[in-house]
Amino acid sequence: MSAPDGCAKGPKHPAAFRHSSTPCCRGTAFRDAPCGRKRISAPAQEVWWDLIPRRIWRSEVPGAGAMALHGGSRREAWLTVPGRGGALGAWLRLPGGLNSLEQRSPRQHVRFLPGFVEGEAGKELTPVATRLPVLADHPLVKGPRFTRLKVGAGHRLDVKSSGVFVLGVGQGCRLLTDMYNAHFTKDYTVRGLFGKATDDFSDTGKLIEKTTFDHITREKLERILAVIQGSNHKALLTYANIDLKTQEAYELAVKGLLRPTEKSPPLITAIRCLEFAPPEFQLEIQCLHETQQYLRKIVHEIGLELKSTAVCTQVRRTRDGFFTLDKALLRTHWDMENIQKAIQDSRLTVQTELEKSLGHLERAAYDEHIEMDQVEEGDASR
Amino acid sequence: MGLNKDSQLSFQRSRKDRTKSYEYVLEPSPIPLPLEKPQETRVLQVSCGRAHSLVLTDHEGVFSMGNNSYGQCGREVVEGEIYSESHVINRLQEFDGRVVQVVCGQDHSLFRTEKGEIYSCGWGADGQTGLGHYNVTSVPTKLGGDVAGVNIIQVASYADCCLAVSDEGDIFGWGNSEYLQLACVTETTQVNVPRHLPFKIGKVKEAACGGTGNAVLNEEGNVFVWGYGILGKGPNLLETATPEMIPPTLFGSSDVRVKHLCCGLSQFAALNERGELFVWGKNIRGCLGIGRMEDQYFPWRVTIPGEVVAVACGVDHMVTLVKSWI
Repeated sequence: MSAPDGCAKGPKHPAAFRHSSTPCCRGTAFRDAPCGRKRISAPAQEVWWDLIPRRIWRSEVPGAGAMALHGGSRREAWLTVPGRGGALGAWLRLPGGLNSLEQRSPRQHVRFLPGFVEGEAGKELTPVATRLPVLADHPLVKGPRFTRLKVGAGHRLDVKSSGVFVLGVGQGCRLLTDMYNAHFTKDYTVRGLFGKATDDFSDTGKLIEKTTFDHITREKLERILAVIQGSNHKALLTYANIDLKTQEAYELAVKGLLRPTEKSPPLITAIRCLEFAPPEFQLEIQCLHETQQYLRKIVHEIGLELKSTAVCTQVRRTRDGFFTLDKALLRTHWDMENIQKAIQDSRLTVQTELEKSLGHLERAAYDEHIEMDQVEEGDASR
Repeated sequence: MGLNKDSQLSFQRSRKDRTKSYEYVLEPSPIPLPLEKPQETRVLQVSCGRAHSLVLTDHEGVFSMGNNSYGQCGREVVEGEIYSESHVINRLQEFDGRVVQVVCGQDHSLFRTEKGEIYSCGWGADGQTGLGHYNVTSVPTKLGGDVAGVNIIQVASYADCCLAVSDEGDIFGWGNSEYLQLACVTETTQVNVPRHLPFKIGKVKEAACGGTGNAVLNEEGNVFVWGYGILGKGPNLLETATPEMIPPTLFGSSDVRVKHLCCGLSQFAALNERGELFVWGKNIRGCLGIGRMEDQYFPWRVTIPGEVVAVACGVDHMVTLVKSWI
């Protein structure tokens, strides 16, 4: 077995492939091009390593190899953070961890190989049936099973906030769209400070105004919160697209599913004051379709309503749908076993909750479908 | 404050003419009760009927004022008496024991003593006095029937139907049954003797009567409704003779229970342990306070800037006593 042209370092060195002139190796350095398929059209070669898909070299080898190959594209920029051995690196090492688990044993097939069998005239060369593992299933041939894992993010959490952040791994990314369509509410604890006003509504922004706040009492704050809640309540109904006088509305309300069914502006379903120690205060907000900046804006507007000003110091998501803080993984727990365990534990809850929430939507769509069919039949019969 | 055409708020001296009284009292005004010891006696409870009201004090018994054409004030019916601009406030003392609760129906009055006995007076054409006849009673008389000998802990009435709750959690009812309020024990539309209502709804803690529907609250905090009208289980349930439970999920989260129930003529109000108010029923001129003018067919939370301590419902209005969250 001779090395391909231009590389004297040996058959297994990545440089070997870079120098070869096959079409799939040109210009597609970091893409997942399955070279094995393209190789079929290449000139037949007897060199065994030419049959090895290029992918193998891009496998998730913990350590230097991974980082060198993944650098560059903007989408994966966050993966190149130097803490690859630390918390973020855990997400990169997920495929490696999955590969280290027990894999499927390779398929077996029957081949007729020449073998010696006791015949009439001594040892004869006849085809002997032997069971062999299929070469295509060999780990060195097909490469590791997991090279990349799709990790999808749920509802956005911006840089200045903290709290529960839902991620979907692999097939779970589909459930993320379901969660989005189910329009679950989210719980936030928001801390604010009276007396200051900044340009981006948080305490790290450029200071615009300073005001007094001695006149603010908890009673006034609560009145404002009740007004906010009441006005959002009406909006909740408008976007739920349902007439409250119907039996359907009653049944949805019993199940707790009276929520917007389409895209709506941010809605606050419940807001209350947890602590009040001027100038600081803490609110608990339950909302839908919001952004953290919207919550900071709410804090700012509360300040304005109270004839003073307020800035937001902390936004922390304590619940996202049915994912709560107690089930969330801490930064120190971002490793293979904990992630697996978390997925297993929440699988049942996710299924039941999504079924509950989306079930009625599907049924409504099905009823509409039936009605439409009947209308069409009616038209056709005329 | 409110309507004073029958002096149910006693004589409210007009500022323009000292001999005349206001027919409509538009702001909270004091009622001059003829107390023997005004500095020491405290008013415990008040109750309003259609044209009369009752005041319960701690040491001096019950005072009644207003219309007495059916004897509901507990004094003799005087033919041709003019009730507007009347100064009469009657003190009722014919009770065996101290009165601890007074309830006004539309044209009748109920009194509950600390011994657990019930007295009634007033109009009885629907049997709401529960005394075994359909005539007018002008003297408070003790009730018999199924409540004789039973320790009653709460009495409720609003229009012409009455409910009583015993200490063991049993319900007794009498009065009007045109809307199936008492249909489980009898087919007649008027019941003039208290009858035990054999419902299997657990131990009852509190009962409330509305104009056409009734509601009870049991020990676990579940609300049961029956009767006619908007009962709180959607537009499909308009009448039922047996109590139906309203799902507790409609009253906020399932771990917070309902602790108090109140009925207006065609509205219901429920108070849960967290101080949240839920209302449902006919929304006459927006009396439910939900920000809309349409009727509400299932319990809906009212946004109030504070913790609701008490609630009272009238014919087309509602009043709540709210405490600030501090």
